[in-house]
Amino acid sequence: MTDHLPRTFYLDPEVLKKLGDLELIAREAVEGLRVGSHRSQLRGFSTEFVHHRQYAPGDALRTIDWRVFGRTDRYYTKLYEAETNFDCHLLIDASASMTYGSGKVSKLEYAKYLAASLGYLVLSQRDSLGLSVFDSKVRAYVPPRSSMNMIVEIDRLLREIEPEPRTTIARQLHDTALLIKRRSFVVVISDLLSDVDDILAGLDHLRYDGHNVVVLHTLDPYELSFPFKGAWRFDGLEQEEPLTTQSERIRDDYLKNLGEFLDALRAGCVASHIDYALVDTSRPLDAVLSEFFFQRQSTLVSPSASAHA
Amino acid sequence: MSFLNPLILIAAAGVSLPILAHLLNRYQVKQTDWAAMRFLNRSVRVRTRQLRLRDLVLLLLRCLALILLVFALARPATDSAGGLALPGERRAGVVIALDASYSMSHSDGNATRFQRGLERIDVIRQHIQPGDPVTLVLLGGENRVALRNVAYDPDRFATALAELTPTPEPLNLDRVPKHLSALVDDLDAHQKEVYVISDAQTQDWGRISNQQRGAFAGLGERANVFLIPVPGGGNNLAVTGLDLISGELRKGTVARYRATVRNCGSNPVSDIEVRCRVDGVQIDSKRIPVIAPGASETVSLFVPFHNAGPTRITAEVSDDALPTDNVRHTVAVVRDRISVLCIDGSTGEAGRLIMSALLARIDGAEDKDYVVRTVQWPSYPADTLEQADIAVFADVPEITSEQARQLVRFVRQGNGLVWFAGDQVKTAAWNKLLDNVADALLPAKLGLAVDTRDALGVGKPLVPGMPDHTVCRPLQSLPEDLLNETRFLKRLQVEPNDTGFSVLSLAGSRSPILLERSLGRGHVFMFTTSAQTAWNNMAHTPVFPMLMQQVVTYLAGRAFEQPRVVGDSLALSYVEEPDSSDAVFDTPSGQSLTVPVREHRGQYVALLEKSREAGFYEARVSVQAPGMPIAVNVDTRESDVTCLTEQELAESLQGTGLTVASNDTTLLADIATARTDRSSWRLFMIAALVFLVAEGLLADRVLRRNRTRTKQTVQAQPKPAAGNAHA
Repeated sequence: MTDHLPRTFYLDPEVLKKLGDLELIAREAVEGLRVGSHRSQLRGFSTEFVHHRQYAPGDALRTIDWRVFGRTDRYYTKLYEAETNFDCHLLIDASASMTYGSGKVSKLEYAKYLAASLGYLVLSQRDSLGLSVFDSKVRAYVPPRSSMNMIVEIDRLLREIEPEPRTTIARQLHDTALLIKRRSFVVVISDLLSDVDDILAGLDHLRYDGHNVVVLHTLDPYELSFPFKGAWRFDGLEQEEPLTTQSERIRDDYLKNLGEFLDALRAGCVASHIDYALVDTSRPLDAVLSEFFFQRQSTLVSPSASAHA
Repeated sequence: MSFLNPLILIAAAGVSLPILAHLLNRYQVKQTDWAAMRFLNRSVRVRTRQLRLRDLVLLLLRCLALILLVFALARPATDSAGGLALPGERRAGVVIALDASYSMSHSDGNATRFQRGLERIDVIRQHIQPGDPVTLVLLGGENRVALRNVAYDPDRFATALAELTPTPEPLNLDRVPKHLSALVDDLDAHQKEVYVISDAQTQDWGRISNQQRGAFAGLGERANVFLIPVPGGGNNLAVTGLDLISGELRKGTVARYRATVRNCGSNPVSDIEVRCRVDGVQIDSKRIPVIAPGASETVSLFVPFHNAGPTRITAEVSDDALPTDNVRHTVAVVRDRISVLCIDGSTGEAGRLIMSALLARIDGAEDKDYVVRTVQWPSYPADTLEQADIAVFADVPEITSEQARQLVRFVRQGNGLVWFAGDQVKTAAWNKLLDNVADALLPAKLGLAVDTRDALGVGKPLVPGMPDHTVCRPLQSLPEDLLNETRFLKRLQVEPNDTGFSVLSLAGSRSPILLERSLGRGHVFMFTTSAQTAWNNMAHTPVFPMLMQQVVTYLAGRAFEQPRVVGDSLALSYVEEPDSSDAVFDTPSGQSLTVPVREHRGQYVALLEKSREAGFYEARVSVQAPGMPIAVNVDTRESDVTCLTEQELAESLQGTGLTVASNDTTLLADIATARTDRSSWRLFMIAALVFLVAEGLLADRVLRRNRTRTKQTVQAQPKPAAGNAHA
């Protein structure tokens, strides 16, 4: 928990798992945020938010606000509703590697809660929510809708999919980019255990299409700290060769490799103006969301935030 | 190879621990699914072979260090006589036993035997290495251990040697092998050696019993035993006795003492002056013309008593090669006057006969300080015992309980009681008193009167049951036919209690005629026969006055007058429960010993368990109280200082396993031959430490490398929490 946050009882992922109902989980996570210090999470997702704009040639006449014209004799285009009702696409990685969990909650389950929470936020603001689930290929795509049923849809889709090993991620992101018609807010929830160049290529495609991309890099605490001691046999979830080794002897090298990977990934995201957040699945969901929104709010006023606009 | 601590070898099983740990770490593999395999592969591929090799080297070093450490602690040694021996030091645990009996004080003019014994110890010390276990013991009546199983430190050992002195005790050879065996068993050493340094007196070492031979053989199985003789000349005179022969210990009288001088040497000694001192002042001197070798001569010394109270009397001969036994001590407790009260329960005959016996003098002279009076039994209650030193109860039918208590107190204060049987005695009443009074007054329970005559109607004569008893001593000087004239026709059957013992008994049976018991500081004599002539003819023979006067002399004396020998216990009896819980005994050398007072069978006694010096001890009931001297003499059995020759010693010690080393050359050669074991524990310890250091260095190197890598990795690793690429 960071220092700028109030003392709040965050929801442990294992507690959320016991709730079962995904919508309830999402509501629990998000309602907690609303009573907190972050009043408008919407601004976090907003791309261009203005009330009125002066009429320009080419604008549809039906968008002119005649009541303003009556008061000011000037043409203003009423763009408020149309511009702020943005589409948010959640891209959830459901590959086999996401099924790993050192505790009771796997990365995939945590991703599900994360997606549901974000979706709940979006839908509760009357924005549209699209959904895409991928592993070795795009398994399911649901175009943006404003119905709360999308939360249930997330649960259903992730439950029905049999996770498969994934070798690359760029192709899946390319395919997803083709399915998204409007410039949208794209949130990628994945462990991104793939080649860094491959990942960045996929993300760049989304970015080139004009989407505002956020990466929530979901990793298990064991993956981050490698606390194993003694002899362990590691069975790869992505059909890699099993490995039997003295864990403490390879820990240093593991942490070094992981550090290099994360550094490269973070640097690539920054270069491509992609928001990046590393999510530890042992941390309370609402705490993670709260910190993420706080970070995002602060970066919107910084010069780099303008690049997202 | 043998081990001093073989049980420690069990700890070698501990080598299985590092092996087990290694195997467990190797084969106990846990399993997990893992997503981030891409970060593992390269690392493992590069490192596992090196780690396995390093683990094996570490394991090997640990196991070797552990095994060598266990070997070192087990104290291995090899016998070089066997041909195959590990490098090591020739070490042995050593027990040095120095004869400290007083014969070792015998001097040949240049040095005493004890000093020459110390010189031999210096030779032995040259072959003891610092750290070797060593025990130093002085042999005497009671062996004294100066150092016990201590690591040899030359300075400490020299200090201990400088404090050693001979004791005034004889050597008790019976105890030596057993005690030395115990000391040998205590030694923490592979090879053990015992050096016995003694003057090899003929009386000790020339008559070794089979039991002693077996005990020494047992000692020889535990260690190499060397006997180092330090013989000396055989001339020695000893005063072996100083005894009161006649006279009363009363102020204004003269007592006759007899001093016995023995020539313990092998040559006749002539013109020996025997001096008698009373309280340090010479009062008499006698000369003995010549004493043959091994013979004893006696002289009479007349001691006048000018003052009442305890008197220290010594008899001594001129200094010779062994001064310790040249003097004999005794104590006389002189009274102002002696008063005997006779309570006569008969028709008057018993009292008259007893008075006649007590007052019988050759010249019929009377003495105002020696009073004997008789009262009839019925008037006894009106009379008190305050003025009497000795009470004689003759044929008294009975006394009351209160009178019995008074009598007990009377005796406990240091006075005497003589009790005669007779026709008037009511045995049941006296036995009842014995049951009721806490301190049984008489030494035996009374039974029926029995006839002791034989078939011809002749009574039985008397026989001394304890020839050395003061009461019996003058009877032995009587011609046998005169002694046999005394015949006993009748006596009371008695059943002696725990504290009573028979002094005189009837010939041909053990039926006691005179019994004695101690009570407090006094004594009680009990005749099972009558003083009258109806039961015996004793009163008509010379036996009766001799017996009665000797009984009075004995009862008028004090317990402190009985001389002790060094090693005896010294007791101080109390009349009643004392105020002070401790008594004080001052030794002849001026040391004060505090001894607790204990209650024993209703009596309060302070007991000094061992007297360790010859001379006059002083016993005091408290620090401020006046002292009561107690004479302690040396045991003259040690005075025969004749020593065995080397050949005689070797013959006498055959079969004991002892090696006689009569000179330094022989001693050194014997040590070199016997000390064959080599101790190798230092070698193993050093090797173990080397392996431990090597293991430590290697492990440290591995750890340091791991830490460096970890530090670098952690510095490069991001904080695993939500973050932002733009931050």
